[in-house]
Amino acid sequence: MNQWEVFVNDVKELVEDTDLELTIRTLNPGMHKFTYKRVRCSVSADLKKHADQLQVRLGRGQLSGSRFSIKVLDEVQRMPSKYL
Amino acid sequence: MAAPRSNREFIDACVRSGDAVRIQQEVDWENEAGAIVRRACELAAPAPFMEKIKDYPGFSYFGAPLSTYRRMAISLGMDPNSTLPEIGREYLKRTNSEPIPPVLVDRKDAPCKENVLKGADVDLCKLPVPLVHEGDGGRYVGTWHAVVTKHPVRGDVNWGMYRQMMFDSRTMCGAVFPFSDLGKALSEYYLPRGETCPFATAIGLSPLAAMAACAPSPIPEPELTGMLAGEPVKLVKCETNDLEVPADAEIILEGEIFPDYKVEEGPFGEYTGYRTSPRDFRVTFRVNCITFRNNATMTISNMGVPQDEGQLLRSFSLGLELEKLLKSQGIPVTGVYMHPRSTHHMMIVGVKPTYSGIAQQIAQLAFGSKLGPWFHMVMVVDDKTDIYNWDEVYHAFCTRCHPANGIHIYKNTTGTPLYPFATPHERKYSIGSKVLFDCLWPVDWDPINDVPTLVSFKNVYPKEIQDKVLANWTAYGYPPVK
Ligand SMILES: Cc1cc2nc3c(=O)[nH]c(=O)nc-3n(C[C@H](O)[C@H](O)[C@H](O)COP(=O)(O)O)c2cc1C
Repeated sequence: MNQWEVFVNDVKELVEDTDLELTIRTLNPGMHKFTYKRVRCSVSADLKKHADQLQVRLGRGQLSGSRFSIKVLDEVQRMPSKYL
Repeated sequence: MAAPRSNREFIDACVRSGDAVRIQQEVDWENEAGAIVRRACELAAPAPFMEKIKDYPGFSYFGAPLSTYRRMAISLGMDPNSTLPEIGREYLKRTNSEPIPPVLVDRKDAPCKENVLKGADVDLCKLPVPLVHEGDGGRYVGTWHAVVTKHPVRGDVNWGMYRQMMFDSRTMCGAVFPFSDLGKALSEYYLPRGETCPFATAIGLSPLAAMAACAPSPIPEPELTGMLAGEPVKLVKCETNDLEVPADAEIILEGEIFPDYKVEEGPFGEYTGYRTSPRDFRVTFRVNCITFRNNATMTISNMGVPQDEGQLLRSFSLGLELEKLLKSQGIPVTGVYMHPRSTHHMMIVGVKPTYSGIAQQIAQLAFGSKLGPWFHMVMVVDDKTDIYNWDEVYHAFCTRCHPANGIHIYKNTTGTPLYPFATPHERKYSIGSKVLFDCLWPVDWDPINDVPTLVSFKNVYPKEIQDKVLANWTAYGYPPVK
């Protein structure tokens, strides 16, 4: 099970059970904690639906009480190919 | 006393004078180190030198490097007990002297090359990048550092302290504002051409190199560092680009800035004492090479409520650089001071009020200068008001500033996304507004009959009465006045 975190301005941005593209950071312990990935994913308020867990922070870093489970479908490459 | 030449010499000097403490127990890079630095700032306590960091054997942290005037004096090689006006005079003397160009040293003489990571070995997470405040948008690599670039056409070198967040193992992003030297080079040159901009980030600089990197001076920072130190700064060539970096810096990150690709940065604790600027897509850096000294020390400035470097040092250099600018225009200013507690938002200018409109002239120059985006209040007082004494300044403000004639508002100026009072729209587009508080008696008032007389011990009693009262003060039964 992995722990992830996302920053949103409004928890409503996290529409359940649809394909979402989010920038999430890992909360897994270790030296890579807090590094980001851009992913395609699906989230659910049912914490048992997916194995990974997602914690939410709001615009100025406040921890939201809302929790989700998350399935990361794949990683998204945003960087233009000329820089890869 | 000579100015410390490196971060290491500075730490030693601060430990010796009691202005730094060595913390030998293990400290966590996640929040704990940041919390120690924050508390030290709020208490104006000695700087923490944290010698053991969880998960990162061999690395250390030095926090709150210049968040007291004592440490500022030590950085300049002065007596730690020097007063603020004394430190200010020394800064002005040194920065008005002849520029001292840097010298280039061989890489074998550059401690920053002791360890080199290139290619697949590059991983920012190998450095003890701290989570400075709980809830920050990321771990911040650059909080007390210099981002080194070279103007592609003019060739002049820029060192700027622009915060840098670790996005992933090879990517950083940061707040490079559009009106900064680097912001202008990116928007005027690199973005239209679609070219990447080479950069190097130097962390763990000598305190004077760091002071130069955040001083709003027109003098190129390597020369400015030399002038402040009284000797040339030693530079060494980068491994993967043509830039030159301070040879004794603790950590160097080399890479390129993307002109047209941005990732999310922030939020972050800021010098105003809040997290204000929104999480946004900001300037993005790819790291291609990391070099570092053995037992490298990462420097941390933790910005929040007063007082940290963001307020103390920036108030100091913004005030003195404005004084130089106003004097260069022949304005009879007697001094310029920013209280660090104003979070460098209010310039207090003392002037001999010899002609009409002098306060407006000062405000227009101040707000219209390169320094202008960083403050939004100018208060002009006469040369008899002690600009360092807030009681006197506040009294002048509350009694001499005419509510209808003395307050002048300037709209749609340049601002920063960091102003807590700014609307969300203003923050997004760096739109500012400014105010002048003119606390001068108008020059068209009759000085005898119109200008009120200041009723104070110093001002209304004859000298011989003052001397008598002072001489007899304890005899009257009062305790001595310090
Ligand atoms: C601790 C600290 C952090 C700073 N962070 C930033 C920043 O993130 N972005 C910025 O534009 N200026 C920042 N500044 C202010 C700049 O260092 C300063 O404006 C400097 O003169 C570089 O600006 P220039 O490129 O306009 O010369 C910071 C200053 C300090 C002391």
